Amino acid sequence: MYYIEQLFNGITQGSIYALMAIGYSLIFGTLGLVTFVYGEVVVFGVFVGYYLYAVVGLNFGVALALGLVVTWGVGIIVDKVCYEKFRNAPRLIMLITTIGFAIFLKSSTQIVFGTQQRNMPDILGHVFLNIGNFRIPFIQILIILACISFIIGLQLLLYRTRIGTALRALSMDKDAAFLVGVDVDRVIKFGHSLGCVLGVFGGVLLGVFYNAINPIMGPNIGLKAFTATVLGGITSIPGAVIGGLILGVMENLTVAVFSAGYRDIIAFILLITVLVIRPSGLFGRKLES
Amino acid sequence: MMDQVFSLIQKLRAKSVYFLVLIGIFVLIFPQLTDNQYILHISIRILIYMLLASSLNMIVGYTGQYNIGQAGFYAIGAYTAAIIATRAGYSFLLILPLCGIMAASMSAFLGFPTLRLRGIFFAFTTLGFSEVVRLTILNWRTLTRGTFGIPGIPLPEIVNFQISTNNHFYYLGLFLLVVMLFISHRLINSRIGRAWVAIREDENAAKAMGVETFKYKMINLMYGTFWAGIAGGFFAYFAGYISADSFILDESFAILAMVLVGGKGTLVGPIVGAIILTILPELVREIARYRLVIFGIAILVMVHYRPQGIAGAKAEGRRIDVEKEYEAGISENAVETTAPGN
Repeated sequence: MYYIEQLFNGITQGSIYALMAIGYSLIFGTLGLVTFVYGEVVVFGVFVGYYLYAVVGLNFGVALALGLVVTWGVGIIVDKVCYEKFRNAPRLIMLITTIGFAIFLKSSTQIVFGTQQRNMPDILGHVFLNIGNFRIPFIQILIILACISFIIGLQLLLYRTRIGTALRALSMDKDAAFLVGVDVDRVIKFGHSLGCVLGVFGGVLLGVFYNAINPIMGPNIGLKAFTATVLGGITSIPGAVIGGLILGVMENLTVAVFSAGYRDIIAFILLITVLVIRPSGLFGRKLES
Repeated sequence: MMDQVFSLIQKLRAKSVYFLVLIGIFVLIFPQLTDNQYILHISIRILIYMLLASSLNMIVGYTGQYNIGQAGFYAIGAYTAAIIATRAGYSFLLILPLCGIMAASMSAFLGFPTLRLRGIFFAFTTLGFSEVVRLTILNWRTLTRGTFGIPGIPLPEIVNFQISTNNHFYYLGLFLLVVMLFISHRLINSRIGRAWVAIREDENAAKAMGVETFKYKMINLMYGTFWAGIAGGFFAYFAGYISADSFILDESFAILAMVLVGGKGTLVGPIVGAIILTILPELVREIARYRLVIFGIAILVMVHYRPQGIAGAKAEGRRIDVEKEYEAGISENAVETTAPGN
C-alpha cells in the first residue's frame, strides 16, 4: 500500500524530471553541448516567479507566466555571454563559460533571494481523489496532466511549425541547416530559451509538489536533468521522458526502502550505472568515445 | 590598468631567476617577520588553497579533463585523517599519505566509467560525486558523526616533534607544496607529462600516435586527486575540527576559479590564483559576501579576454595560433560539433 503510494509519487516526480530532461536535451540538440548553467537558470526562474506571487502579490498564473518570460530573457543572456562568441571554438571553452555563469548565477540568486528554504503556497489544499482504497492527492494528478500537455504541445511545436522544423534540422546537422536557409543564430537562441523555460516550468511544479523551494537546489536539478537525459539517450525526446520517469520512480522507491537522506544519491548512482553499462542511453545512437 | 599589470608580470618573468630567489627568501622568513596570528592563519589557508588549486590544475590544466568536484576529494582526505586520527591514533606520517591514497582510489572508481567517454560526462559526474561525498558524510552518522562534524583531531607529531603553532603549520604546508610542485615539475617533463599534454591538445591525435589515453588520463586523475587528499589531511590536522560544511560545492567552484583565473596549464598559475582569490575577500571585507559572484564573473572575463589566465604565458605559440584559426572560422571542430549525440 505504502509502496504503491510511493510509486505514484515517483511517477509524478518522474514526469517533472521528464519535463526538465526534455528541456535539457533541447539545449543539447541545438548547442551540441551539455550546459552547467541549466539548474541555476531553473532556480532563478522559479524564485522570480515565487517573488512575484508571494511578495508582489500577483495571481499565481500571472506570476508563473512572468517568471517564464524572465527565464526566456535569462536564456538569451546566457547565450550571449556563454555561447555566442564561441560557436565555432572548441566545446570545452563553452563548458568553462557555463561553469563560470553557473557560479555567478548561483551566488547571485542566494544573495538576492536569501539562502533559506521557502514554502510554496498550497494552491489546492489537501484535496484527494479516492479510488477504492487509494488516496491520490489531486495536485499530483494535476502535475502529471500539466507535464503531459506541455510535452504534447512541444511535440506539436517541433513537428508542425516552421521553427520546430528548423530546430530539428539544427540538431541533425548545423551546417546543412545553415545551407538550406535556417537562421542558425536565431534558432539556437530560441531552442536554448525554450529549454530553459521548460526547466523552470518543471521547477515550479517540483516546488508545488514538495511545497518548498530552495535556492541551493540548482546543481541537484542540473544533475537530475542530466541523468534523466543521459539515461534516455541525450538527443531523444521520448528517451528523456522515459529517463525522467525511471529516475523519479527509483528515487521514491529508494526513499521508501531506505531513508530520505539518500534521495539525491540515487541520481548519481543511476548516472554512473548507465555510463558503465550503456553510455549511449536507452534510446540513443551509439556514442563515440 | 590590466594591461600594465600584465606587462609588469611579463617583465618580472624575464628576470625570473632573481625574482624566484627573492620570493623564495621572503616565503621562508615570512613567519619570522610577523607574529600576527591572523595573518599567519590566512597564509596557511592560502597554502592549502595553493595545494588544492595546483592539484586541480594537474587535471584541468594538463589533460584538459574538467574536474568540477575537487572538494569531494578534499573532503575524503580530510575525513580519512580525522577518522583515523581520532579513533585509531596512528602517527601523522602514516595517516597523511593514506589520505592521498584514499582520495586517489576513490577517483579511480569515478574515472573508470567516465574517462573513456567524452570530457563532458566526466565533468558532470565529478560534480555529482562531490555532492554524493557530502551527502554520504551527512548520512553515515556512525562513521562521520553526520552534521556534528569531527572535533578533537590531535596535533600532528613528526618523530617526537609536535607541530603545534601556526608557524609550524606554515612550514609544514610550505614543505608539502614544494614537494608537490617539485614532483609535478618532474612529471610534466617526463614521458607521462608529455602524454598528458598530448591528450589535452588533441586526444585523437595522441591516440593515433600510440598514447594509451585512458591509462594516462587515469594516472593523471589519480595523481591530481592524491594531492587534494593530502591537502584535506593537512587541513583536518590544522583546523582540529571538520564538518561537511567545509566541503560544499562552492568550495569546488572556488578552487576551479583559482586555477582558471590564475592560469591553467602552468605551475605558477594556480599559485597566483590562490593568492589573489584568497586575499581579495580578506582585504575587502565588504565583498566577502559576494566572493563567488566575483569568482564567476572573473572566470567569464578571463575566458573572454585572457584565456590563458593572469600568469599564463602569452608566448605559448601553438595555442595562440589555434585561437586565431578559430576566430577566422577555420575550426577543426566545426564538423564535429554539428553531429548530435556523437
